[in-house]
Amino acid sequence: MVSDDIVIEVKDLVRIYKTGEGLLRRKKKETLAVDNISFQVNKGELFGMLGPNGAGKTTTIKMMTTLLLPTSGTVSVMGYDVAKDPYEVRKHIGLVLGGEKGLYYRITARQNLRYFADLYGVPLSERDKRVDELLKRVDLMDRADERVEDYSRGMKQRLHLAKGLINDPEVIFMDEPTIGLDPQAARDARKMIKELVDGGKTLLLTTHYMYEADELCDRIAVVNKGKVVALDTPRGLKSLMKDMSIIEVEGFGIADKEIEVIRSLPGVRTVSATLGEEKQVLRVQVADAAEMLNPVTHVLEGRKIIGVRVKEPTLEDAYLWLVEGNA
Amino acid sequence: MPKLRAIAASFRHQYLHFLADPQWLIPNVILPFMITMVVLIMFQGQQGNFALYAVLGGGMMGMWGNTLYASGWSIQFDRWNGTLEEVLATPSGLIWIIAGRSIWNALVGIFNGLFILVIAIVFFNADLSMYDPVLFLLAFLATLLSLSALGLLFSSAFVLTRQAGVLTNGLEYPIYVGTGCMFPIALLPWWTNVLSYSLGPTWGIESIRYAAIGGYEGFATGYWGSMAIMAIISLTYVAIAIYLFRVVEMKARVNASFVRY
Ligand SMILES: Nc1ncnc2c1ncn2[C@@H]1O[C@H](COP(=O)(O)OP(=O)(O)OP(=O)(O)O)[C@@H](O)[C@H]1O
Ligand SMILES: [Mg+2]
Repeated sequence: MVSDDIVIEVKDLVRIYKTGEGLLRRKKKETLAVDNISFQVNKGELFGMLGPNGAGKTTTIKMMTTLLLPTSGTVSVMGYDVAKDPYEVRKHIGLVLGGEKGLYYRITARQNLRYFADLYGVPLSERDKRVDELLKRVDLMDRADERVEDYSRGMKQRLHLAKGLINDPEVIFMDEPTIGLDPQAARDARKMIKELVDGGKTLLLTTHYMYEADELCDRIAVVNKGKVVALDTPRGLKSLMKDMSIIEVEGFGIADKEIEVIRSLPGVRTVSATLGEEKQVLRVQVADAAEMLNPVTHVLEGRKIIGVRVKEPTLEDAYLWLVEGNA
Repeated sequence: MPKLRAIAASFRHQYLHFLADPQWLIPNVILPFMITMVVLIMFQGQQGNFALYAVLGGGMMGMWGNTLYASGWSIQFDRWNGTLEEVLATPSGLIWIIAGRSIWNALVGIFNGLFILVIAIVFFNADLSMYDPVLFLLAFLATLLSLSALGLLFSSAFVLTRQAGVLTNGLEYPIYVGTGCMFPIALLPWWTNVLSYSLGPTWGIESIRYAAIGGYEGFATGYWGSMAIMAIISLTYVAIAIYLFRVVEMKARVNASFVRY
């Protein structure tokens, strides 16, 4: 499966954005988006990047795919340096940035794919066949000759996936590949991603879906504020939670103040809360669930509690601890 | 060969967009057309040359307008649309992509010019008897390429700037006047002439006049002389554009100006 050939090598990578340039806006602001990260991805590996909004995932992908230059540090892909040999890098990689944009919406899906096939230099004899195959693969064949502006968000995302594979790349970068997809389409996309890697491709993706990362990735880098705070297999990350349990509390009217109190209880590692309009769900990470059950529910006295359960920690708990807590 | 493929594909791509959304015909085809008509009506009674100026002028305005909008707007459109990054991620250099689009847009201008010619002959009985139609056509096509090259040069600026509109509007009229497509440039002050002579299309129009007007004197460079000067200037444009695109692409990768942020 995973061989030792290094396909992507990221070394001491830093990216600073300077904004506010221009004639009228003289004030400059610097954003440190990627703060000295290093990692390697092996041939045939499926490598994931997890991290909260603004962590620097997209910025890292754009540097790996030659769209942005590193402020310092280096990235090489298939042995080519992204800063010195961008055209060589581009020949070997596929890129899915995804989202509502990034497609020519006034022309059809087929015309989009053909155009990119031409720009990637797909041999003419193979072009139309490959376009057809990809349209089938992402289930857009029936709508292939409709303008992209008439597509739903999920259909656009599937077209993005097809576009990313148009040059049959050896290394594929996907930024949130399943965003906007319905559960069925997301499952199909995950299946496709698995098939690509089984077929020998190397793939790097970002996602906000923990189960997706858990199910797909060989290794995961957890990124927070531009830094890699953990890099391990999903199992390895979950083992950070070994000896921990989760007390899950579902209830109504739980306020921020109470969450803070619970977080500060001795014996509590961290608390994550999903605060719905109505219902709230707290996940309290503790070492000893039996001992902590009472103190936690005590804080919530007077609130309407509809369920308290003790659970095994998941990848999500490990992730939350890494980015919120203080790894 | 990959460069030719990128040019051809982008030419086709621009044509597909043209079919899908012809609204930009208004500034680039209809407006020059109307100005030409007004000039034609004004000089209806006059002999040959003025009508020819009008016709050439309208055609050239259309061509230039198209080239400028192509270089400016297609990059700006791609930036807003998020596709600038997508095309940049391909191994085809941006310059060849823009070149293909520019040639299509200048070609639309040619059709516009031919259309005006037909109108002038049919409805205004303009005396447009061609001195040498073959050389005329050749000069016309060469001027088209020269315009595309000039457009390419300007378009490098659009990769960096987000104020593409200012640049487009600012360049449109000076070029109409400067290349002498509306007036004989001898009528303009000398310093504008210096500027005009550095523009490839100026020499293209000279060639067109040599081919179109029997006994045309111009700057005494002759038909082939003007063509040669145009070729040299245009190739220089392409060389400069290749260099500028390289610089500008690098700067954009530093500034993150491929996306509107
Ligand atoms: N073009 C840009 N100009 C200036 N700052 C930027 C630019 N793009 C991103 N940033 C900033 O860089 C930081 C990292 O952004 P980035 O898009 O890489 O995060 P991300 O991990 O992809 O987030 P998300 O999960 O929301 O997609 C953020 O603070 C963001 O505001
Ligand atoms: Mg992102």
